[in-house]
Amino acid sequence: MKPKVAVFDFTGCEGCELNKLNFENELLDIIAHIDFVEWREAMDDKADEYDIAFIEGSISTPECVDRIHDIRNRSKILIALGACAVCGGMNAMKNQKPLEVAREEVYGKDKDLFPTLPALPLSAYVKVDFEIRGCPMTQQEFLRVVTALLMGKNPIIPDYAVCVECKLKENECVYGNGMICMGPITRAGCDAQCPSFGQYCIGCRGLVSHPNKEAMIEILTNHGLSVDEADKKMSLFNTENREGGLK
Amino acid sequence: MKGMFLSKESVVPFIEHLASQQKVFAPNKKVHGSITFEEVNDANDVVLNYARALLSVKKYFLPQRETLLKYKLDDNSFEKQEIEQVNAIFLGVHNYDLQAVLKLDYNFKNNNPEKNYLKRREGAVFVGISYEPDNFHFSQSVGIDPHNTNGFDLFLHKTEEGFVLEVLTKSGEKLLDGFGEISEFQGEYPRNENFNASLYAPQSKLKEVFANSYDNPIWKEMAEKCVGCGTCNLTCPTCFCFNVEDNVGITLKDGSRDRHLDGCMLRGFTEVAGGEIFRDELAGRMRHRIYRKFKYISDITGEPWCVGCGRCTIFCPAGISIVDIVNRLVSDYDKQQVLNEGQMTSVLD
Amino acid sequence: MIKTKNGELKELYYPTISEITKIEKFTDKEKWFEIRLPNGDDLQHQPGQFVEVSLFGIGEAPISVTSSPTKKGAFELCVRETGMLTEVMHRMESGDKIGIRGPFGQGYDIDAMKGKDILIIGGGIGIVPLRSLINYVIDNRQDFGKLIICYGAKTPDELLYPEELKRWEKDDNIEFHLTVDQGDENWSGNVGVITTLIPGLKLDLKNTIAAVTGPPIMYKFVLLSLQSKGLPDENVYMSLERRMKCGVGKCGHCQINHSYVCQDGPVYHYPTLKTMEEAI
Ligand SMILES: Cc1cc2nc3c(=O)[nH]c(=O)nc-3n(C[C@H](O)[C@H](O)[C@H](O)COP(=O)(O)OP(=O)(O)OC[C@H]3O[C@@H](n4cnc5c(N)ncnc54)[C@H](O)[C@@H]3O)c2cc1C
Ligand code: SF4
Ligand code: SF4
Ligand code: FES
Repeated sequence: MKPKVAVFDFTGCEGCELNKLNFENELLDIIAHIDFVEWREAMDDKADEYDIAFIEGSISTPECVDRIHDIRNRSKILIALGACAVCGGMNAMKNQKPLEVAREEVYGKDKDLFPTLPALPLSAYVKVDFEIRGCPMTQQEFLRVVTALLMGKNPIIPDYAVCVECKLKENECVYGNGMICMGPITRAGCDAQCPSFGQYCIGCRGLVSHPNKEAMIEILTNHGLSVDEADKKMSLFNTENREGGLK
Repeated sequence: MKGMFLSKESVVPFIEHLASQQKVFAPNKKVHGSITFEEVNDANDVVLNYARALLSVKKYFLPQRETLLKYKLDDNSFEKQEIEQVNAIFLGVHNYDLQAVLKLDYNFKNNNPEKNYLKRREGAVFVGISYEPDNFHFSQSVGIDPHNTNGFDLFLHKTEEGFVLEVLTKSGEKLLDGFGEISEFQGEYPRNENFNASLYAPQSKLKEVFANSYDNPIWKEMAEKCVGCGTCNLTCPTCFCFNVEDNVGITLKDGSRDRHLDGCMLRGFTEVAGGEIFRDELAGRMRHRIYRKFKYISDITGEPWCVGCGRCTIFCPAGISIVDIVNRLVSDYDKQQVLNEGQMTSVLD
Repeated sequence: MIKTKNGELKELYYPTISEITKIEKFTDKEKWFEIRLPNGDDLQHQPGQFVEVSLFGIGEAPISVTSSPTKKGAFELCVRETGMLTEVMHRMESGDKIGIRGPFGQGYDIDAMKGKDILIIGGGIGIVPLRSLINYVIDNRQDFGKLIICYGAKTPDELLYPEELKRWEKDDNIEFHLTVDQGDENWSGNVGVITTLIPGLKLDLKNTIAAVTGPPIMYKFVLLSLQSKGLPDENVYMSLERRMKCGVGKCGHCQINHSYVCQDGPVYHYPTLKTMEEAI
């Protein structure tokens, strides 16, 4: 039997989902091996249970909370797709302001019609089996994870720094060009995309596990940031790094 | 010495002469922005005056990524990988990098010689070049004299007017066929022996130092500054550890078993199923890395396994310096010796 | 240099595709596999050595050979399900193909053991490599003195080789001690950690060689009890586990100080281990 796969989106830009639709050829190959049973953007077929549920976006309303619990209960494997779902992502920026202020800014006088919660990663509410990181996630990694799961094995998601991939590709380190890069403490897997184009890494894949944050703050402050700015840079894609960020 | 003088103007023709015979790899800045060894397509792109390449020529014999075998999943069969000899001229190699290759030769020749490395390595021809040490080179301290031509076929000694091209082997001589007259002459070139960075002790003493530095507090102190990014491992010309992964094609019909360079500074390096990590602390990993350069292999071979290129230091985002670490160990050891002697005499008194 | 007949270097990374010929489930987590190399060739291993099991698309994992080299035509593995490769292996069936590289590493120093009493101390899955040695001793009984086996598991459900345990128990030529950390209603044997078996042993100290394998925490306590019993450290061999990838001393993962566990180990003479930091 082909595994039943569903894709859901929560609060996010849907950039990750769209991204997925950009590789039609490979998609046909995947579809040969799986049954897409629910995918809001691509079809409206609904099923009760899923072998694999891909979830995009962060959780930021009470309604989202109920929905994610419901999906979790109906899914064997739940996969967080993209930075929003994995670590709160850009959405989590609103957490830096009091909720009321954020609500007012976004919805103006209608704010009371839109109940809101701090934007949190899926893992704040339900067990997440695997994470496909990045903002947006890369196609290569999505394919790698899907093929691994179809092979019946756990996908290998690197837990080392972007610097590793930079070195393997012989990129010039952007620190040498006066940029400030989050690569030394950011999880690899993107093949050092940004530094490969001469850009600094903004850390969209979240931190490596067991990061040495103090050492990173020292690197950043040595390059001219204040401690506060350094902290903000590390928090951009890491709700867990923020005070009161995670339950 | 045997060789010839090469004026500045004849450098490009010299490179072209080499390239007309065989593939040439040389330092280049255009491809990656950093200095990297690349195949020479245009002799004018070659950068001969450089501090250090991001990765040494090791990458041609032990590539960053390599497919070990390809398999088919439906019938469990596999295809052997044809390993091709690199068969090229490596031009503009600094002598510490060639010494590093000779050290890798040892690692890949001994106990289970590895075909992948050795076959690619065979037939490589090296044209060395002298360099001006910057604040990070310390090769002289690990026994690699700046004009050491050991292992090279040809060597370019820099002078004001160009290069003294020294011929060291028969294959080197053959490369110059049709290029110019080789003669026995007194090649004069300025000897660049001023290193700003140096270790306080030779390997013979470091052996003692390292035997007594396992519990030195510096490992913890450095670990506080280190982010564990692995840059030091990945840029080191004598590091050779790798990981192996199976990658399956999207059709689930076939795939490949690939290896890529790994690093002992990375936390997952010693992780086993169930989550145990044998060197969980950064301090332990830092010590392992430095001990690999000055003790574990060195105790067997009598040579440091570090060539003093300075890569791990200049490329470290946290500015951790291998020279500072080793020198601190040496001075702590010396202090301890003085203390011990003091105790000895007081016992004797 | 090691060259094959045609002058080529030996291939290090190509597995030999072999066949699983029998499978037996010992516990919820452990299964036993019998494996046949092409043409029924012998693996030619030493007790204590391991192979790299290779599954295309999944990867490789080091697994000890649990059968004695005296068994011909096939060899055996016993695998605990703990991660990717081991899980997939547990789903495999008799007749399935499996890749094998090896045997690798140093096994037990059989020559040093000849003529001596052999004391086996195995905790949990540690009994797996030891069983190769046990069966070797049983099959060459005249070459060795007494055979004393101490085996401990967490619970009776986790005991491996159930049939063989019964045979060892009955064999007059074997002194067999079994213990579990926690018994159940059907258990009438010893209860207690493996170290509780050691004080009661009667050992000819000079003439006994101990082979110890188990989880890392077990080593400290077992070594202490053996020392307090008076067994010289020179008479102790142990087997270590580290992350492995290549199995041939190249990838660096298994390194402890100057030593590659896949080359110099997994079986080490205890006096050697004492000189290595981080080893135990
Ligand atoms: C010398 C030796 C002998 C062993 N003998 C046995 C045995 O007889 N029976 C048994 O069940 N287990 C044995 N193990 C442990 C076994 O190797 C691991 O349980 C196995 O590698 C887990 O692989 P996995 O793919 O299922 O787990 P994952 O966690 O998915 O591991 C991924 C990969 O990491 C490496 N790795 C993970 N854990 C270990 C480990 N403990 N040791 C070495 N590499 C590891 C392997 O390359 C593995 O494929 C032995 C280990 C060693 C070193
Ligand atoms: S550019 Fe960024 S990721 Fe790349 S090596 Fe430099 S710090 Fe690391
Ligand atoms: S390069 Fe520097 S920060 Fe990175 S692992 Fe090495 S010592 Fe640590
Ligand atoms: S497993 Fe690769 S060196 Fe030991």
